[in-house]
Amino acid sequence: MSEYLTIKNLRASIEGNKILKGINLEVKPGEVHAIMGPNGSGKSTLSSVLAGRDDYEVEADEVTFLGKDLLEMEPEERSREGLFLAFQYPVEIPGVSNINFLKAAINAKRHHHGLDDISAKDFMTMVKEKQAMVELKSNLANRSVNEGFSGGEKKRNEIFQMAMLEPKLGILDETDSGLDIDALKIVSNGVNKLRSEDRSFIVITHYQRLLEYIVPDYVHVLFEGRIVKSGGKELALELEEKGYDWIKEEVEA
Amino acid sequence: MNKDSFLKQFDNLPEHFAIQAEARAALHNGLNFPTTKNERWKYTRVNTIIDATYAQNQMELSDIDSFKIHKDWKYLTFINGMFSEQWSDQVPDGVEFSSLSNISDSDKGTVLSKMGTLFNLKQDAFPSLNMAYFLDGAYIKVKRNARIETSIVILNISLGESQAINARNLIHVEQGAEVKFVHQFEGQGNAGAFTNSVCEIFVDDNAKADYYLIEDEGSETSAITNTNVSQKKDSRFTIVTVTKSGKLIRNNIHLSITEPGCESNMMGVYFTDGNQHVDNQTYADHQDHGCNSNELYKGVMADRSTGVFNGKIMVHKAAQQTNAFQSNQNILLSDKATINTKPELEIYADDVKCSHGCTIGQLDEEAMFYLQSRGLGKEAAHRLLVQAFAQDVIDTIDLVELKEDVEEFIDSKFS
Repeated sequence: MSEYLTIKNLRASIEGNKILKGINLEVKPGEVHAIMGPNGSGKSTLSSVLAGRDDYEVEADEVTFLGKDLLEMEPEERSREGLFLAFQYPVEIPGVSNINFLKAAINAKRHHHGLDDISAKDFMTMVKEKQAMVELKSNLANRSVNEGFSGGEKKRNEIFQMAMLEPKLGILDETDSGLDIDALKIVSNGVNKLRSEDRSFIVITHYQRLLEYIVPDYVHVLFEGRIVKSGGKELALELEEKGYDWIKEEVEA
Repeated sequence: MNKDSFLKQFDNLPEHFAIQAEARAALHNGLNFPTTKNERWKYTRVNTIIDATYAQNQMELSDIDSFKIHKDWKYLTFINGMFSEQWSDQVPDGVEFSSLSNISDSDKGTVLSKMGTLFNLKQDAFPSLNMAYFLDGAYIKVKRNARIETSIVILNISLGESQAINARNLIHVEQGAEVKFVHQFEGQGNAGAFTNSVCEIFVDDNAKADYYLIEDEGSETSAITNTNVSQKKDSRFTIVTVTKSGKLIRNNIHLSITEPGCESNMMGVYFTDGNQHVDNQTYADHQDHGCNSNELYKGVMADRSTGVFNGKIMVHKAAQQTNAFQSNQNILLSDKATINTKPELEIYADDVKCSHGCTIGQLDEEAMFYLQSRGLGKEAAHRLLVQAFAQDVIDTIDLVELKEDVEEFIDSKFS
């Protein structure tokens, strides 16, 4: 098995509106793919569909994750198999403690892979280590999930959760939006520390700025529900310089 | 509703107090059971209770441990309304207990001076029914300035089918005393049973009483509980009602806040499913100045279950500087579940802070997806969100073992 993720002709619509109109993408182990595109191009739909949000009608010739049919799986199965979505808008859940929730999530994954519960000691060691990685204050980890967190804290909490769950494929859905440079550096640093030859990323963003910190192997441009251009990291710079209008003109020509 | 044939089933029961005969007479004459035309009974029909046939049997219990939430608490056990010495503990120092059927002559005067005084026996049919036909109950006095470290449990166990039980208790917490009560209703094999409970609680100056009402008689039993409380100066009273099971449940709580400086808390959680019906009626009667009352009820309702919440805050003219807050929040887990919620404020004083509100909603789908996307199964995510929703009520339970018991109950209910 060479690919972590194979997407062939993925289409998605919501209430009859076609949003994804045939996406093709292959992600190999260790690769970082950036997906860029103007507002409304379908970036967030792509991440939602991959994570299993059921608001969409989804069709595809093939979507395979680690050799298994991704679209057949419930959101929780996708997660346990090693897919992680860092939300664009992390949800506040009053009354659910961040730590208890993470422990439940880790144990759900461990059970899925035939392992016992993580020991309290191992868990706490892991929490401390990963928390330091994203410079998340320890009191945040003990609070309710995202409740009262600032925008930057919420995004750091997403990366913290990703670090705890050790996915095979991390999808970052506009993790950079609304972050100042300092917060962006912290978040990017966290992601870079998680990069490894057996972990891949799909980085979805509107802005090239993020890609200065998380340097991708490939850049794809999503426009009107299709990937209309793919290239190396230099494509991001070209987009930054010329704007998305250049792509629109190219597509329409 | 056939009142006469209903009452006839109980008329040969013995009377311990003269006041019981009066209550019987009232019921046989003009006093009727409420219908849905009565505003406070609009959503709760008691026909099935009144039209049923009942037995009153003495039953033997073989083991009590399965009913105990915490074995170190002091249990006063009543089986089908009758005191069971065998299954009861000695009350701790600072507490006096006697069963109402076996009350000493010296206590009889005190009991009679208080019994029934918090109810309007000419108007309230179910408290009158209880008064007319109760066979036994607890009289508990917590002595002046006594600080009771261990919790006292009034454990009412309903055994056998179609039993009608009028459970009655009178609690007097004297000046400066501190105590925690658990009033626990349990049942076993009791299809068609009906419990009608009255608990009168007198909290004297500067005393502090917690009272946890735990209802778990089983899905085939109906219960009406009537808890009336009188608070004197600077006293603190907290009631937390946890409805775990029951076919038709109606809880009436009436707090008479009669003197200045009181603090009163009324909390409740209910988890309903099937065809269950749970009705919580509360009344915070602010009669004097400088008192705070706080009320929070939360419900999670599934299937075709129905719920009612009707909370009233009454602030009399003399009750200046009252702070009174009330909130009822509900989550409906199915399209067919119903809640009728009605917060009421009636204020005659002009210097008060009062608020009330209610919400009805569903489990947050975004939160569900978020939890699932982290690997939690649907059930686990569901359970976590229900637990989180109820947590602020559960956190008001100031007994670790009981709090854990309720949390475990939610865990098992939603898995």
